[in-house]
Amino acid sequence: MIVRFEPWGAWVKLESTPAIVALGREGVRALGLDGGDRWRDADVDPNAAPRVAAPSPPIEVHLAVTARCGAGCEGCYLDARPDGLEPPREALERQLDAMRDAGVFTVAFGGGEPTTRDDLDVLAESARARNITPVLTTSGLGLSDARIERLRAFAQVNVSYDGPSETYARVRGFDGSAAAERAIERLARAGVRVGVNVVLTRESFPELERTLARAKSLGACEAQLLRYKPAGRAASLDYLARRLSPDQARSLGPTLRHLAGSICAGGDFHVRIDCALVPFLSADDELARDPSRLARFGVFGCEAAGALAAVTVHGRVAPCSFARATELAGDRLADGHDADAELARWRAYVASPPEPCASCSMRSVCKGGCKVVASFVDREHGPDPECPRVLAHRKEQAA
Amino acid sequence: MSDEREHEGEGGRESGGEGGEGGGEPRRERAIGEEHIERVRVGHGANCSSIGSVIDTLFATATVGAAVFAAIVAALKKEEVRVAGGAAATAGAHAAGEKEDA
Repeated sequence: MIVRFEPWGAWVKLESTPAIVALGREGVRALGLDGGDRWRDADVDPNAAPRVAAPSPPIEVHLAVTARCGAGCEGCYLDARPDGLEPPREALERQLDAMRDAGVFTVAFGGGEPTTRDDLDVLAESARARNITPVLTTSGLGLSDARIERLRAFAQVNVSYDGPSETYARVRGFDGSAAAERAIERLARAGVRVGVNVVLTRESFPELERTLARAKSLGACEAQLLRYKPAGRAASLDYLARRLSPDQARSLGPTLRHLAGSICAGGDFHVRIDCALVPFLSADDELARDPSRLARFGVFGCEAAGALAAVTVHGRVAPCSFARATELAGDRLADGHDADAELARWRAYVASPPEPCASCSMRSVCKGGCKVVASFVDREHGPDPECPRVLAHRKEQAA
Repeated sequence: MSDEREHEGEGGRESGGEGGEGGGEPRRERAIGEEHIERVRVGHGANCSSIGSVIDTLFATATVGAAVFAAIVAALKKEEVRVAGGAAATAGAHAAGEKEDA
């Protein structure tokens, strides 16, 4: 296991089973360890002015290894193109050095289409050599058996798959479902752990169960559900027509409960939700009543500039993949994450959000919802305007 | 793998006498239990744009939930300890390169 001391205890990455665990100080002591300076710095000496612990670096980093992609998805958050920038391997390895020094556990390679790089296997091994678990997202387009062989160092590969045929086409503007399905099947057959990323739009949401059943039948072991976000080519008025309807957002909790009891019942297929979907769970009375359960099962809301960071294809750190990059260089992540003013601004908002987030029972998990959506829809870094609770609050204020 | 130096990274250290394989004394069973676990994030996740969390275990039966935590406790009891960050991680990385499952 790899232990990263935190002011409150430690994050622990297990190696015999894929999991990350948060232990309080007592738990860390039960392992025969203590946090040394990291704990002392966080303690409040009653005879001195309180000291504030330095913010923790991310445990997961999303690394754009290329902006090159020929798929041309209508909603690409990076606006990737066939002639997109591809940073040199040396630059990416310096960024991996910084992640190692920061104690990052997981690096998710993305782009662009990362499999267009010829050195992807080398980069994955570079991450492993730094004790960082590499994972990968791909469209699956053009993923030959030879290329699949070079993906073996990745702990998991997720294929973008929004649904069979017309459902896929409605999300991305072209039907790449057959290529994605072939990729899922080939990866699974090759023994590579494979999952799917499913973007939830107004049109793909009703097809969700069918989509997941198809992915599972092809050999996928997991589906990550992604909220459609107004970034890159999706930052247009079209976003307002494609995003989930308020009714669909409110139904997310019951939908997940149904999927858990059906497609996930055998324990061989799991469903993940992304950080931006967490605010929708506030409409689920059972979950909203007991957010500690969400926390205990490790559900993360907006962790931008917190447990999560992104490094753009230009080598700059961003709070998350959808947010504007800061001036901080990716190879300075370890020593610059605490002090960067923009990252600090994101963290400060989460620490002290306005209403209705301030009084929300789910605040500690949700962390105010998606700021990228808020910045696009409301033109401010504020409460998530599509959160059912925020919508109800605004309706009440307007009445 | 000798792990004594790896317990000193990031200002943290080994506080008990449990030692590692290089400590010379047999390892006592760690007194870690389910009650010490504050959060569990299961699985790797492999999305490059937003951080994901497994959600179906949340809705699963108490038995399934308990099995998840039991497996985590078992791993916490047996896995060798390395400390993340800076030079300690580098040392760990070099050693990890020699391990089959690293």
